[in-house]
Amino acid sequence: MNEFSNNTIDLDTLPKFEELHLNALHSNYVKVLLFNFLLLVLLAIGGFTAIFFIEREVFSTKYWLLIFSAFVLFLVFVVIIAKLSFNKKGYAFRAHDAIYKSGLISETTTIVPFNRVQHVALHQGFIARKLGLASIELFTAGGSSSDLEIPGLLLEEAQKIKNMVSHKINPIAKTEEVEVTENYFPENLTAENNE
Amino acid sequence: MNNWVDFSKPQRQSLTGILVMFANGLQKSIRAFWPILIVYLIKFESLNKLLFFGSISGVLLLIAFFSYLQYWFFTFHIDNDANEFVIQKGVLNKSKITIQLHKIQQVNINQSLVQRLVGVYKLEIDTAGSDKKEASISAISHQLATLLKERLIHYSEINLPAKTETQPNAIVTRSFIKIGFTSNYVKSLALLFVFLTTTIENFTQFQTKIINEDKVTSYLESFPMITSVLMVVGFVFGMVLIVNLVRTIFKYFDFNIQKQQQSVILSYGLLATKSILLNPNKIQIIKITQNYFQKKLDVITIGVHQASSDAKRVKEKDKIEVPGCSQQESFEILKLLFSQMPKKGILYLPNWRKLALNSFFFLLFPIAVMLFLNYQSALVTWNEWYRYATIFSIFSGIIIWFSFKNYKLFVSDDFIIKQNGAWDVDTLIIEPFKIQTIKTQQFFWQKNTNMGSVTLATAGGNISFSTANYTEIKQLVNYWLYQVATSNKNWM
Repeated sequence: MNEFSNNTIDLDTLPKFEELHLNALHSNYVKVLLFNFLLLVLLAIGGFTAIFFIEREVFSTKYWLLIFSAFVLFLVFVVIIAKLSFNKKGYAFRAHDAIYKSGLISETTTIVPFNRVQHVALHQGFIARKLGLASIELFTAGGSSSDLEIPGLLLEEAQKIKNMVSHKINPIAKTEEVEVTENYFPENLTAENNE
Repeated sequence: MNNWVDFSKPQRQSLTGILVMFANGLQKSIRAFWPILIVYLIKFESLNKLLFFGSISGVLLLIAFFSYLQYWFFTFHIDNDANEFVIQKGVLNKSKITIQLHKIQQVNINQSLVQRLVGVYKLEIDTAGSDKKEASISAISHQLATLLKERLIHYSEINLPAKTETQPNAIVTRSFIKIGFTSNYVKSLALLFVFLTTTIENFTQFQTKIINEDKVTSYLESFPMITSVLMVVGFVFGMVLIVNLVRTIFKYFDFNIQKQQQSVILSYGLLATKSILLNPNKIQIIKITQNYFQKKLDVITIGVHQASSDAKRVKEKDKIEVPGCSQQESFEILKLLFSQMPKKGILYLPNWRKLALNSFFFLLFPIAVMLFLNYQSALVTWNEWYRYATIFSIFSGIIIWFSFKNYKLFVSDDFIIKQNGAWDVDTLIIEPFKIQTIKTQQFFWQKNTNMGSVTLATAGGNISFSTANYTEIKQLVNYWLYQVATSNKNWM
């Protein structure tokens, strides 16, 4: 402890988190993102289709064309957003902490030191399970806003990470069997959309 | 000498404790029904007396019966085989609380006003870990309480011998008066508002008119406009001050701080004495609040945010306040809590763009909206509009300027200190090794100007610093990460 409070630290010689090369998420994760976006769009499309067949005269043909083209534009927009936000996401594990970066409009980097992690969880959503993906969540004592979740990892990889982190938190305990929690609903509908 | 009690057999609380439970039940019912009660009292003359007293005594009997059942079904014992302390309670919903003896950190014995009258005590058990359960026995004789406390502490590893180092009473009533006059205006105003609206609503519901509105209105109309407005404002302000003063004195009467080995004990309260055990390790954030008046009067409020037992949100009960200490006393308290005086260290300031951004959102934008609205619907004449707009601009401008001027971050080796606020200036102090998570944030339009924000999450709340030099922030983040990784101090 006294070791570092006595010596002056040259801030520039410390390892820099911002210069780290971040690993990209698995390319299949774009599909999960797209699915989550599309589910919302599909609901809206379903609604309008129902109106189209039941009460067509609510809107004139001109408006129907407008609505249709708006949907097409929106779909293209959604695909681009999904792709861009996927490109922005990245993670890295260092000897002492885990880093996850995301966000299109606001680029957020979350860093959790391993010696503050309370427990680790592995989640698999419905679509992610079909694609063989999983996400890792690191819980800290700082409340839900300070937890770190890395989505779009291969299940195998995620399990390795989970074991690695569990081992770092509690070196004595033997690596336990990984339990997989399954959500049967598409994951993080709200959390993913506002990025 | 009945010094040996067999705690392995289920024990009940003391019989007089039924009175405490009765009082609690009564208090709860009164709290739930007080508006109706007040109206009944006012309309007392026109009521059917038999029905009134009949229903009241019926309710009282019911509460008494429930209190007895509560007493009967509440038992506690020590399970010697499993090394657990067990509480069983509940009339309809049974519940069983078990606490492993080695997890018990502290046993507190408290006494509220009712308990003092009846001559019983409340025993509370504080456990370690985040799965904290509320375990308390609300009516127990002093002898039994001390015996049980000894037995429970005897099992746990942490022993707290009676060696108590008493600090002189830190706070005198004089400083309460200062605090009462200078703080919590908004809180008291809200309280007053809620009180008045519920009362008025209940009166109108029962069509009782004790305040003749016309009379009040005509009385006020007999004065010039300005005078009557000033009278109403003055009346409200006076009420707020009185409510503030009474609240502060009731809550913090006879404030006392003691240091007991590693922990600090606070005790206060006029009617219900409260004693709180603070473990300096559990403290996450210290918040010092002072406004301009308080600075002149030399009073400071110190807030302590502890690690919350509920991981998802910081509970109100984990936030403790030491109101109205002087500068000198606050130094003493800080030394007691941190074991050294927090050093301010290197100063970091936000960029001028923060001022520009705030001016846009809180000054230019509202004015533009008002301009548009008035242009559309002509609510007030343009002369009036200019007058209101000027008043608003000056007021808002002053607040924006001071909140920018007071926005500072100090970083030293052992402390991170953040200051903000326009009127009430808050100073938040954390120790770097208590950081749980660090988040840095940059909007895409901030990239060119190299601006960014940082949020530090602790187990007792967050601290954030925004619109500052992103290179400096990243450098600090690297430093804090290094400190968290190398520190072997316990964050809790």
